Amino acid sequence: MTAANLETITAVLPKGVKPPRRRYGKRRAWQTVIWVIVMLALTAIILYPLAWMISASFKPTAEFGANQGFFPHNPTIDNYFKVAEGAGGVPLWQFFANSFILAIGSVIGTVMSASLAAYAFARIRFKGSGVWFAVMIGTLLLPFHVLIIPQYMLYRGLGLVDTFVPLLLGKFLATEAFFVFLVVQFIRALPRDMDEAARIDGCGHWRIYWSIILPLVKPALVTASIFAFIWSWNDFLGPLLYLNSTEMYPLPLALRVFNDQTSTSDYGATVAVSVLALLPILIFFIIFQRFLVEGVSTQGLKG
Amino acid sequence: MFSTKRLVAGLALATSAALALAGCSGSSAPASSYDPDEEVTLNFTWWGNDDRAARYQKLIDAFNVEHPNITINGQFTDFAAYWEKRQTEAAGGGLPDVWQFSDSYLRQYAEPGYVLDLGTVSDYIDFSTFDDSLLGTGQLGGTQYSLPTGYSAWANFVNDDVIAANGLTEPEGGTTFDEFYDWMAQTTDATGGAVYGGTDVTQRIQTFELALRAEGKNLYTDDGKLGFTEDELTAFWESGQTLRDGVAIPQSTLEEISPKSGFGAGLTATETSWSNFLGGYLADSGASSISMIAPPTAKVGSKDLYRQAGLQMAISANTEHPEAAALFLDFVVNSPEAGEIFGTTLGYPASSSKLAGAVLEGADKQVADYLDSVADRIGDAPPVPVVGYGSLEQKFWDLGKALGLGALTIDEAVKQFFAEADVVLQG
Amino acid sequence: MAMESNAVIELGEAVETAPRAADDRRAGGAPRRGSMLRRRENAAGYLFLSPWLLGFFALTAGPMLFSLYLAFTNYNIFSPPKWIGLGNFERMLQDDVWWDSVRITLIYVLVGTPIKLAADIGVAMLLNFRSRGTGFFRSAFYAPSLIGASVSIAIVWRAMFSTGGPVDSSLSLFGIDIGGWVGVPALILPMMILLAVWQFGAPMVIFLAGLKQVPQELYEAASVDGAGPFRKFGSVTLPMLSPVIFFNLLLEMIHAFQIFASAYIIGSGTGGPAGATNFYTVYLYTRAFTNAQMGYASAMAWALLIVVALIAFIMFRTSNSWVHYAGDNR
Repeated sequence: MTAANLETITAVLPKGVKPPRRRYGKRRAWQTVIWVIVMLALTAIILYPLAWMISASFKPTAEFGANQGFFPHNPTIDNYFKVAEGAGGVPLWQFFANSFILAIGSVIGTVMSASLAAYAFARIRFKGSGVWFAVMIGTLLLPFHVLIIPQYMLYRGLGLVDTFVPLLLGKFLATEAFFVFLVVQFIRALPRDMDEAARIDGCGHWRIYWSIILPLVKPALVTASIFAFIWSWNDFLGPLLYLNSTEMYPLPLALRVFNDQTSTSDYGATVAVSVLALLPILIFFIIFQRFLVEGVSTQGLKG
Repeated sequence: MFSTKRLVAGLALATSAALALAGCSGSSAPASSYDPDEEVTLNFTWWGNDDRAARYQKLIDAFNVEHPNITINGQFTDFAAYWEKRQTEAAGGGLPDVWQFSDSYLRQYAEPGYVLDLGTVSDYIDFSTFDDSLLGTGQLGGTQYSLPTGYSAWANFVNDDVIAANGLTEPEGGTTFDEFYDWMAQTTDATGGAVYGGTDVTQRIQTFELALRAEGKNLYTDDGKLGFTEDELTAFWESGQTLRDGVAIPQSTLEEISPKSGFGAGLTATETSWSNFLGGYLADSGASSISMIAPPTAKVGSKDLYRQAGLQMAISANTEHPEAAALFLDFVVNSPEAGEIFGTTLGYPASSSKLAGAVLEGADKQVADYLDSVADRIGDAPPVPVVGYGSLEQKFWDLGKALGLGALTIDEAVKQFFAEADVVLQG
Repeated sequence: MAMESNAVIELGEAVETAPRAADDRRAGGAPRRGSMLRRRENAAGYLFLSPWLLGFFALTAGPMLFSLYLAFTNYNIFSPPKWIGLGNFERMLQDDVWWDSVRITLIYVLVGTPIKLAADIGVAMLLNFRSRGTGFFRSAFYAPSLIGASVSIAIVWRAMFSTGGPVDSSLSLFGIDIGGWVGVPALILPMMILLAVWQFGAPMVIFLAGLKQVPQELYEAASVDGAGPFRKFGSVTLPMLSPVIFFNLLLEMIHAFQIFASAYIIGSGTGGPAGATNFYTVYLYTRAFTNAQMGYASAMAWALLIVVALIAFIMFRTSNSWVHYAGDNR
């Protein structure tokens, strides 16, 4: 849960200056053709598992094991109907809802807490800030293994097992150092003129934070939100540890319910749910991916 | 006349309704007596799949017809997570009021006192419907901690479709292990490996148990220790080497089709397992007919089988409503409605009253017939499983699979098993 | 400031030497007014930092200390922890399964991560070939990392590597007849490494950004000197990318140590065929939550922490010799 999430770092590299003009014109046509062929082939190979999964969701359960190929022998959409009924008395939309609640909660918590902490590190001169900053960076390298057992015991002692609280509390307390770091770097690159102007006008830190800095760091916050959302959506260990009741399961756990080993395993349904579970992420990504690129490009540098 | 009766009836109804609504707990008697007017909510958990969940819902509804004041809050998880959750609930004091239990965990939960002594609520439960050996499966040190919902026995399943399609001969039940291995080898040869005679039965601890019981021994002793030596285990695993050398389906194939079994995928002609797996096999394999025969034995004529009451029902020692919980538990294990709703999906009904309500058709009837057919091979119940039996059983199986993959030598596997047993039994 | 004062360097510096709150000195003015200002700044600072501080103490530092304590106990949840001194660590060293999990994890981290990064650089270079029209490919290549972390893909990945599946069929075309990988313990680790490599994601994007920042003049100068493409790669690209490589290497290694979900699913929670998917986290999880041996699992966690700290330390120490920060004279 506190694993170093590399994705967030994409936003910290500054680009700012346009890359020196490259003389692409000089590339010979045949080189480009080869390049296109290679890229298309690579894309096909890389996306094959995804395509296979989508195709497999149209295979009846009995075909799994016998037919490993791409195309179903007896295509059917029964799997989706079965999945729509939900599992274990819990309707499908509930699993989605749980995932959404957790993901959106993560985003809100992360944005709030990371920006607060980042502002403190980047804009406030207070005693010990250097030390705390180093400590925070240190937590990036911390394997989560040392934390899960005591955290679990803490939440159990507070009676919070089988609630969403353990999965969300950390986000609201900026436990993900990467996001803090991300925003810190972004703020550091912002010019201080406006801060100083506001100071002269008599604004305190809160006003500066709220009215000046926060609007300016939007790109970094958007990047952080994207990754917070995706990561929460895919989180498996957290829900596995803390959620008991089936009706609270988010999608990764719900998949297991369809695949219960003590009874007949419903492969078809499992794969269908997998496809459905991936859809929001894929759509999300397609919509927001250009912001990602902007996040990488627009990290100001200045100094 | 007509209207007076109705008036009186109406008044009586209104009065009791008013009392119920007023929520008064009736008597000021101590909590040890049950009050049918008190609104009670019980937490109830089980493991299983959709099908079982639907059945439990029907059962709860039927229960509420007789006891509308008891609300049952039913929850379930998949098997893998079930015991992990119960463990943490036990430590935190939050075990469900009534919960699906297993004899494998009896020692682990009863010894520290997490499970209610059913003798304290014996007024609400009918114990007479169980015979002694089945009652024994839920007892520890003479105290009744849980009651079985049903039982099963180890069986050998045969895929008749596969046999017929390949012109094979059906195997005989109750032969010696060697004779059965011969049959398996013939089958594998006859089909050139397209269908295997079966799986490596020495992977399962239950097969080892049969071998031990044929000699009058058991997997574990009454005081919670292992009942066999390293040499015995070594000899047992060595006996399965012929199977691993090409007679049984290769483990690597099994890994690929997991979690489906070889039998479920139609790649083997036989498989040994618990008798209540029939339904699952029929569904997985799509076979039109599966026979059940007695498993092979180490010594013909020995009483090596036993009635395994794996699925039990228990009450948490911390429950606030022991009487209501007991009523519900009794309903689950004893009522004819339970028999009708569940058939043999929680095991062959252990209680005679539940059995009376069960309509045994199709697969259920087949299981019942099988159990009858092996009745004279059924011996005494084994001692209560050691603490951590569940994980030992899994470890045994994992090691058996590793042997099948050639990843370990038999000596290494035996060493690992005993090392694991040390850890589990002392922890 | 030069373009090179980028965040990568700052991170490195941040970890090596805690950045001075040099700004403190700039809080000028007369001493009395300064100290009052300073106190207010401190108060504001800690106020803004309070959520993070709370999170740090309650969810990070506290648990860490407690797990350190647990590492020296026997704790099975049912009863209070029992102090056993170094017992867990002794047991670890004699535990064959523990050694296996260490071996598997180390191979995955030390072998898999460089392969993954090499693939990421390769793909980034491919994407860098043109400045336009790569958006589609960039998204396509980024997709696996989105879904790779999910449970669904583990199920699919097994199917990819089964007998007769796509991998098997493709290899057969080249005359390599291995059959399915899933049932062969020795092939499980390569399969998991491939799963990690398949997830081009953030490292690829970072490398791409880094590549775009390599000044074209350097390549031109090298051409003038008669350098071919390989020479250019070795003498220009790699050194210029080295801060980024260092960064990605360190963080991907940490990431690799934490692999859990895919190993757990592919191995069905049992550690896979003959313990082949029994990565360190999986084994730790099993001991902690399935066998309720939390003391032992905590000891395992601390052993890992020490190893990770060592690796990070070594990497930072040696980085001076191979990481080239343009713009300074190291």
